[in-house]
Amino acid sequence: MTDEDVARLLAIEPFSAMDPRNFPERVGLRGILRNDTRIRRYRNGTVVVRQGDYGNSAFLILAGSVRVILEGLDPKLVGRSERRRRSVIGSVARLITNPRSPESRDARRYPQMQRPADDQSPDAERAFVQDVNILRDFPAAFEQTTNDVMTTGELFGELAALGRIPRSATVVADGECELLEIRWQGLRDLRKYDAALRQHTDDRFRRFGLSAALRASPLLAGLSTELLEQVTSAAEFETYGSFDWYGTFQQLRKRDVDPLSAEPVIAEQGHYPNGLVLIRAGFARVSRKLGHGEQTFNYLGKGDVYGLAELVHNAGAAQPVPLASTLRAVGYVDVVRIPTRTFEQVILPNLPAGMRPPAALPVDPSGGGPTPSRPDRPGGHEGHGIDPPMLEFLVEHRFINGTATMMIDMDRCTRCDDCVRACASGHDNNPRFIRHGPTIGHHMIANACMHCADPVCMIGCPTGAIHRSEESGEVVINDLTCIGCGTCAASCPYDNIQMVEIRDRSSNDAIMIDPAQGKAIVKATKCDLCIDHHGGPACERACPHDALKRVDMRDLDSLARWLRR
Amino acid sequence: MTFAARRWFAIVLTVVVAVAGSAVLLSRSMSLRGTAWESGWVLLAVLLFLASYNLRKKLTYPPLLSSATWLQLHVYVGVLSVILFGWHIGWRIPNGLLETAIAVVFVCVAASGVAGLALSRMIPGRLTVRGEEVLFERIPVYRRQLRERAEAVIVDSAQESGTDTLSDFYARRLADFFHGPRHAWRHVVQSTRPVTELLHELRSLERYLSDGERETLRELTELVQAKDNLDYHRTMQGMLKGWLFVHIPLTGVLLVLVGAHVVLVHAFAGASA
Repeated sequence: MTDEDVARLLAIEPFSAMDPRNFPERVGLRGILRNDTRIRRYRNGTVVVRQGDYGNSAFLILAGSVRVILEGLDPKLVGRSERRRRSVIGSVARLITNPRSPESRDARRYPQMQRPADDQSPDAERAFVQDVNILRDFPAAFEQTTNDVMTTGELFGELAALGRIPRSATVVADGECELLEIRWQGLRDLRKYDAALRQHTDDRFRRFGLSAALRASPLLAGLSTELLEQVTSAAEFETYGSFDWYGTFQQLRKRDVDPLSAEPVIAEQGHYPNGLVLIRAGFARVSRKLGHGEQTFNYLGKGDVYGLAELVHNAGAAQPVPLASTLRAVGYVDVVRIPTRTFEQVILPNLPAGMRPPAALPVDPSGGGPTPSRPDRPGGHEGHGIDPPMLEFLVEHRFINGTATMMIDMDRCTRCDDCVRACASGHDNNPRFIRHGPTIGHHMIANACMHCADPVCMIGCPTGAIHRSEESGEVVINDLTCIGCGTCAASCPYDNIQMVEIRDRSSNDAIMIDPAQGKAIVKATKCDLCIDHHGGPACERACPHDALKRVDMRDLDSLARWLRR
Repeated sequence: MTFAARRWFAIVLTVVVAVAGSAVLLSRSMSLRGTAWESGWVLLAVLLFLASYNLRKKLTYPPLLSSATWLQLHVYVGVLSVILFGWHIGWRIPNGLLETAIAVVFVCVAASGVAGLALSRMIPGRLTVRGEEVLFERIPVYRRQLRERAEAVIVDSAQESGTDTLSDFYARRLADFFHGPRHAWRHVVQSTRPVTELLHELRSLERYLSDGERETLRELTELVQAKDNLDYHRTMQGMLKGWLFVHIPLTGVLLVLVGAHVVLVHAFAGASA
């Protein structure tokens, strides 16, 4: 951003209406615009954001207009892979037809290989990225869609950027347009120091994000539209921790730092519960003082609530109890706080049957308030029975992020590697995981994609090649639109994405060379939970000793049952 | 279902099938009807089913039940096959050359299967509590790294201290130890005597060393322990993989012999009739 660009921005809404005196000197409105924004120009039909992608920036339309496609757009048109499950015969045939070299593929499928060899322009690679990002058959592709037009001065993408939730719509440049991309850090600071922008984003969040989040909670299922409206208007939303938690996490892993010291406190044990905390995105650690430290006994994720038992107990009680545990942000957490008064007046009388925890809390004899073994999750989660050391391990390594974490019972694993061979047989002769990783006791978390609830690998992919599958939500990579930039592999906090050079099947499995670049074509590879095959993950089905399990860390009860077999 | 519940269910079911099958065969033999024909064909089918587990392992994706389910079936049907084999040969030692060979190979296959199952249940837990988890294929790399580290430590120490107490000991006792896998048979019988003796000898050097050399000694002790753990993992993981190199080829031999047996039995069936 040049001085002229910043001056231009300061002359237009909403920045012209912002009072620079509200910004601290060290940050400054000018500094935010210079460091956290950039002006981007888009050609007609260029995809700005894709539905389902995770992004860390919002966009302000400076000139022109964009079309917001809410539903009905064919995913293939925006570079999503077309998934076709292999037939049983096809699976058997692979035993014979599988090439001997790893990562051997059909070169004719790749757009790079279709470019003339004499295309030596420095823009050749960028041209490919743009090809992927240009909506084909534009604007005919809009005909079957529900869409809307946004014009100059309007802001979009801020809810996904701030709330770390998937983009709710695909946005395409409608003619030539100029957008200001604002990084989440800049957006956060602008919101912090400018009341009008804060009000604007809060209003939009209440209108579009909060209602949906509240409606999805089983605790509020019994509320009428009017009562839900009351809750929505009273609710406050807060964010804790760093959006770039994966970077901080990797640094913490290298240095021997007490993880609790890096986790901001959302609510503290012993304090008066001032509202029901609903986790909208991210993860939070629930811990309790033990000796001179704190012991983790639970963690909460999207849709979970904190403080329910205390609030129910305190409603009309002569002797209110304080919070029995401390809630901390593990990485980035987006929470909605429903004030105590609203909870008591609106939610408590309408709590669905089965959601109400016991009103009389068992009190800790040591005087530390109620014991923590009480429901924290909607539906009356009665304690999962997982040992605290295991929970500490899962939280500290951020494995709680996984929805299909590969866990191996090393007391049963015979190191036969049948899981590795099974994986390789279905994935170009190259296993998509390493049977190695951190261990606790006799359990290992192997280096395999966990299909995270908060998939940071999906942030920043320039072509949207890494995405969630439409059908079942696995994080998958479209091999054809992956440009091998390595952004996803660098972002994955668990080192579970590998960059590989691919081979040309028709050229005796020689490394495939991009004719325009003269360099080997590299692709990102990772576990896809055998989405193209029958029967689920081959690794799990191939284990002869029931030692390997893909674990959904949101389901602690199932994990506990598996650990106790 | 817990492993204990599954085990009990499978054992009870196996006993019921074994008793029922034995009762049928016993009643036939008591009524002076031969059982060899029926038991032979059933045994052949059972053997083919048992051998097909290896094929299932190669067929990763067709929906053919999980490998763990196949292994359970393999184990308990394998137990039943031993009983059936006993009935088929009339619970006596066969006298023909081919039949004797089949019996010997069958016993070897069954015994190697039992041994493999026992190893599969006993070794993993021992590996978990001993040293770091290592991939079998990477063990030579780790061993080389340990050796290079030990050599570097010794060279540095000799240069700094100007004495050869540690380097002499290394050349005499440790160079060979770090050079390759050692004490495999001791590891098989879970003996820690060799490494205990080595560590004892290392400790006995302490009184002759300077402060700096004592630090080297401590590091060397850790490296010796790490190398011993690596050797242990190599031996144990080798056993976990090795028994299959007996079980699977012998299964192939058994099937060939059984095939010959079936052909011969049918070729001479008319003559005996």
